Amino acid sequence: MQNERSSSPEKNQQHTQNKNEEKKNSEDWEKTFLKSKDFTKTNYINQKTGKPFTFVFMSTLVDEKILSNSVLPALLEEELYQLSDIKKLLPIPDVQLSTEKSEIEKKLFNGYVMLFLDNDKSLFAFIAAQKEVSRSVSAPEIEFSVVGPKEAFVESLRQNINMVRKRMPIKELVSEEFTLGSLSKTKISILHVEGITNDEIIQTVRQRIKNIEFDEIVDSSYIVQLISDNESSPFPQLLDTERPDRVAAILAEGKIAILVDGSPHALIGPTTLIEFFSSFEDYFLNWVLSSFFRLIRVFGVAFSILITPIYVAALTYHYELIPKDLLGTLINSRRVVPFPPILEALFLEITIELLREAGARLPTKVGQTIGIVGGIVLGTASVEAGLTSNVLLIFIALAALAAFTTPVYKMSNTIRLLRFPFLLMAELWGLLGITIAFCFLMTHLIRLTSLGHPFLEPLYPPRVQDLKDAFIRGSFKDLNRRPSYLRTKDPIRFSGEKSHKKKDIDE
Amino acid sequence: MIIGRQVGIMHKPIQDRFKISPFLPLYVIMAMQIGIGVLGFQRVVAKDAGNDAWISVLGAGLIIHVIVWVMYKICETVQGDVLTANVYVFGKIAGNALNSFFIFYYILTCAGVLGGLIEIIKVWMFPELNTFVFASVYLLLAVYIINGGLRTVAGMAFFSLVLPAYLLLVFGLAVKHADFTNLLPVFDHTLIDMIKSGYRMSLTYLGYDVLLFIYPFIKEPQKSKKWAHLGVFFTTILYTVLAILTFAYFSGGLLEKSIWPTLEMWKIVQLPFIERFEYIGIANWAIIIIPNVAISLWVASRVTKQVFHLKQRKGVIVAALLCLGILMFLNSRERINMVLDLTALLSFAVSYLFIPFLYLSVLIAKKVKKK
Repeated sequence: MQNERSSSPEKNQQHTQNKNEEKKNSEDWEKTFLKSKDFTKTNYINQKTGKPFTFVFMSTLVDEKILSNSVLPALLEEELYQLSDIKKLLPIPDVQLSTEKSEIEKKLFNGYVMLFLDNDKSLFAFIAAQKEVSRSVSAPEIEFSVVGPKEAFVESLRQNINMVRKRMPIKELVSEEFTLGSLSKTKISILHVEGITNDEIIQTVRQRIKNIEFDEIVDSSYIVQLISDNESSPFPQLLDTERPDRVAAILAEGKIAILVDGSPHALIGPTTLIEFFSSFEDYFLNWVLSSFFRLIRVFGVAFSILITPIYVAALTYHYELIPKDLLGTLINSRRVVPFPPILEALFLEITIELLREAGARLPTKVGQTIGIVGGIVLGTASVEAGLTSNVLLIFIALAALAAFTTPVYKMSNTIRLLRFPFLLMAELWGLLGITIAFCFLMTHLIRLTSLGHPFLEPLYPPRVQDLKDAFIRGSFKDLNRRPSYLRTKDPIRFSGEKSHKKKDIDE
Repeated sequence: MIIGRQVGIMHKPIQDRFKISPFLPLYVIMAMQIGIGVLGFQRVVAKDAGNDAWISVLGAGLIIHVIVWVMYKICETVQGDVLTANVYVFGKIAGNALNSFFIFYYILTCAGVLGGLIEIIKVWMFPELNTFVFASVYLLLAVYIINGGLRTVAGMAFFSLVLPAYLLLVFGLAVKHADFTNLLPVFDHTLIDMIKSGYRMSLTYLGYDVLLFIYPFIKEPQKSKKWAHLGVFFTTILYTVLAILTFAYFSGGLLEKSIWPTLEMWKIVQLPFIERFEYIGIANWAIIIIPNVAISLWVASRVTKQVFHLKQRKGVIVAALLCLGILMFLNSRERINMVLDLTALLSFAVSYLFIPFLYLSVLIAKKVKKK
């Protein structure tokens, strides 16, 4: 107390203020509380000793079952002389004694019940009786996988940590907790595995989280924006996942996970561009199959970004580029279209964006109708009306489809956006413009970091070892080392010697 | 470091996180060597040695290894870049005067390369291209790259070699139409002709002198030696193979009339969805040229920072503007050629005269200062 008083004048002031208020009215801390209807204060009398005591709690935050089943019977029927007796009376693990009035607000709003004896109001006890209101664990919807676990995070931090701990029941899995947000008091937990994760990464995250100044933190996506290395980049620099199994897997690799109370998404960092194109299901399938799918996805993304710009470039500037037979087809489809290719492409691209936005904002059932109306009716009609060519319509539809192969929603948003600068540059300088737009994109990606680690790794800086789990997903035998860019304290996952022995024929 | 303190220019040591891995000089050197020259060196080298010119190409490439060795020696002796070496040998005033020459030299190189690219684009793709707008956007890109530090510059060098590497496969399609008897008879030219041809080729190879400037940025420079040599070696092989292929593909008479034989070789490529493949090649060349421009501007701005203590962020913009200014005068084939010839001459002098001279001076200066 004395120390505090001398160290911080602010607290000192607060303290004297509290004392003054105490003199005026001992129940002054209640004033604001009393305005709320769910603030409850009830009096009881112990049957054995006749001591009167009072419960104070927020009825909406407290599980009344705990009160009536465990707390009240003990307090009413056993011998209660002084407040410290409750430690031996109550069958509840979390009971704290305190004299600090400043703690009252925090405890009450965290679902504690405050208890004091009517004759001594300076000493009180807090009994944990939180009501856990959260939806039950359901199957992942965004990162759905056909094989593999069907659990997804929910909005409760405790439940989420529970799901991760179940998959990694070791003491080295450390969960550090922070409280953020001047109004929301959101609990944030950083998970990492001691002895594997590089301390620098943990230190960086800790520092950035401590530096956050914000009032209301609603979701983990707020945290992403607040601690990103480059907040103006369209690329997400932390991977979010709703799968506890994925979190356990990346913790074992030496990354960190950030869980935010009230958010069904964990944040994973440091991450790389490649990771955004790998679905967690890749690890459930045989490595040959998953490598093939990964390559398809990478092709899909390249196709999705480049196809319309190439169409615009070729038809605006480089008809010579198109072979004769193909040129016939293109001329036929564009014969009646009155617009230059760029307008045609922009018109269709924006139509697709509108459809996506409309589909995403509407309830599922209506959304489907929108898809049909937009996709089939609008598409066919605009071709028949001669507003667009059907070749371009095919390209745009394919590009939209390809963009959806990206397993991470945030990344597919980025891809949606990237197409437009490319389109404009294609209109300006044809293929050359596309190349220059691409150079800008490359530079941006090279410069980007995730928690201080290069975002483009293992492509640049090139690391051959990490390429085993990049465009192709190597077999588990080959993945016996943790990603080298993470500089883990223990780079070897398993020795791999036994599995690497190759037997001769017929032995 | 110690030497730097002796002569009174205290360079801040470069932090580890701004340094590049020992193998990256391979890409930086290769990217700088492969520029606009690849598209049209064949005709120039064949002027003297004809179908034997590929031997000169190979020979000129192998000599570079000696220069690279000398450059490493200089940097190792003074524990720093060529700027430190100049000041060490010639004193602060004369040394810095020499150093400021490099600013001029690299800005001119940058303008020459970019001018060459713009010329090719104008001839092959867009005759109406607005030089000012295109050069501004391109230089803006370079400034954006340089603002990320040498690591980003080296990154672009890396990608500019790896991504367009598929273009090499396309030359395979030209092999079908090549007649390798064109190369016979071998050794049909005099040694003088071969040396003349080698001299012309050495101009195309230039660019490895950046090593003198990036040296302090290399992690464990000792390890980087083999990579630097390997980079030079790869470039040599690439040029030699390309020369052989060109001489086999073109008959002597046709080659004399082809300014850009490499581009013309692409014209033979026909794919079911692309005719005129050289368009893809030219578009890709914009990527291949980027490190040339970015590295040149990086060196120019870095030297400005060391000599005039101008912040590199500002220095790079000044350098880019100067480059843009020079480009505005390069509106004809003759002028571009003049600049390209001038930079070639300058860099030939730097590599083959100045660097050996500097090495000797450093050795002498070291002995004198020890006493």
